[in-house]
Amino acid sequence: MKKLKIIAGLVWAFLCLVLIIILFPGLTGFSASLSKAPFMKIHPRYSGGEVEKQIISEGCTLDVREPVFKGLNSDRKNGFVQLDWRGTVPDEIRDTVDYNLDGTPDFYVLVDTKTQKTEIKPFNSKVKNVGISTPTSYGWAVRINLTK
Amino acid sequence: MDNVLKNPGMKKSLGKSLLYTLPMFLITFMFMTGGRPDFSNPSSSLAILIAFMLVNVLYFLMHYTGKTDKYRVVLFIIFALTLSFTLIKNMVAVRNSMSFSQADILECKIPFCHLVIPMMILPAAFSKSIIFPGSILNGFANISSMVVLWSVATLVLGRGFCSWGCFYGGWDDGFSRMRKKPLVKNINEIWKWMPFAVLLMVALTAALSLVPTYCAWICPFKAVTEFEQVTSVESATKAGIFFSLFAGLVVVLPVMTKKRTQCSYLCPLGAVNSISNKITPFTIKIDKNACNECYKCVEVCPMFALSKENIKDGKVSIFCSKCGKCVDACSKNAIHYGIKGIPAGTMKNFSRNLFLFVSFLFMAIFSAGSIISTLQSLIKLIL
Repeated sequence: MKKLKIIAGLVWAFLCLVLIIILFPGLTGFSASLSKAPFMKIHPRYSGGEVEKQIISEGCTLDVREPVFKGLNSDRKNGFVQLDWRGTVPDEIRDTVDYNLDGTPDFYVLVDTKTQKTEIKPFNSKVKNVGISTPTSYGWAVRINLTK
Repeated sequence: MDNVLKNPGMKKSLGKSLLYTLPMFLITFMFMTGGRPDFSNPSSSLAILIAFMLVNVLYFLMHYTGKTDKYRVVLFIIFALTLSFTLIKNMVAVRNSMSFSQADILECKIPFCHLVIPMMILPAAFSKSIIFPGSILNGFANISSMVVLWSVATLVLGRGFCSWGCFYGGWDDGFSRMRKKPLVKNINEIWKWMPFAVLLMVALTAALSLVPTYCAWICPFKAVTEFEQVTSVESATKAGIFFSLFAGLVVVLPVMTKKRTQCSYLCPLGAVNSISNKITPFTIKIDKNACNECYKCVEVCPMFALSKENIKDGKVSIFCSKCGKCVDACSKNAIHYGIKGIPAGTMKNFSRNLFLFVSFLFMAIFSAGSIISTLQSLIKLIL
């Protein structure tokens, strides 16, 4: 038993030595494999959710993302919808958005990109207020808070 | 530096030390130069040469003098300083500031660090997603590479990660060595369980709020890396907490106690690494037959991992980070690096050589990028 313990300890120690030696040369491959794991995606609370529809206008595209209510294992009462304007953003952004794709506008958004002042006019009681409005590397992003 | 007693047992001859350094020399050469040294950029070549010499001279000295912690800590502190320097330099270059904006969060551009890992486990299990605004695979400090690096390191080194791999640990390790004698000696041992309480708290609050709460509210190292732009009372409070905890737990208390107080009292990842100490093959062994019970090792341990009871039982606690301070301090060579399964007092040199190679190689390669980058900046500044 004592000998077996010594052999097991030595085998495990040498395996660890091999692991460390291959870790850095294999890091890109190991990381790529891990990134394919089902849980290796950014929570929509941070990523903003999948793009639901695109509205293309001259020089600028509006990405309307799907509303995010996702919690730990069920939906939450409060969430948001993220809007991304990509390309050449005008001094004043005005758009009417149907975030739930029911064919009727849910809110009107107005962004003054000079002052960063952002206003909404809700047409739907589930639309609450402006959460975030910020310039980004690709243009402008706004998060509108919603309730379910 | 501490006055450590001579430990002749682990010393090697010049030839043997060079021979033991050769594999480290070759592997670090391959990693730092990519196998093909390029001398077209003088500042880059000089930076690589200095970093290469630094790690190999330190490794050689570990073998030649038989001392571990004395040389480990040099690279460990340099790692912490250069990592912070590199990170801040990159952030200032990209953002003109040490703080990140809402746009950086929305675009998932926040560098990931290993301290987030304990908070992402529950959400990853339940919501099948990561609650962090970083990149999964691309760019600097992406989530996948950091998770792979930490997972392998904690499997292999256990809590040794905290003394050989953590790029923050060098801060409080450095400050804990500022005084020759501690101002505060009697510290209640119960505090060493605090990281488990912090771990439980941050894991649960992160799962409930879907916010990595430790990073958002507590992490002292935000003070030397990056933090949220101060735009509100909330963000100002957070910045206040980060700087207060850094000043208290990373600077003042380590100086006063000569202990790594942030690592021992707060870090939730330290608690996880303590658990993985049960898995790693490498450990610290106590040879009760050789021990004269001087308790010098208990006195110098910076992680509260050793007590008189541990010495009497012949076992170190799960809090041991394998820094080697106790090993360097033991005049009888009674406390030594060992491999699980091998009885204490036997195969001391073999166990130490194997552990040193594994742990130092990890630290040398992991730290190389930030050391070279910092050296390059300094060389450019001077020339």
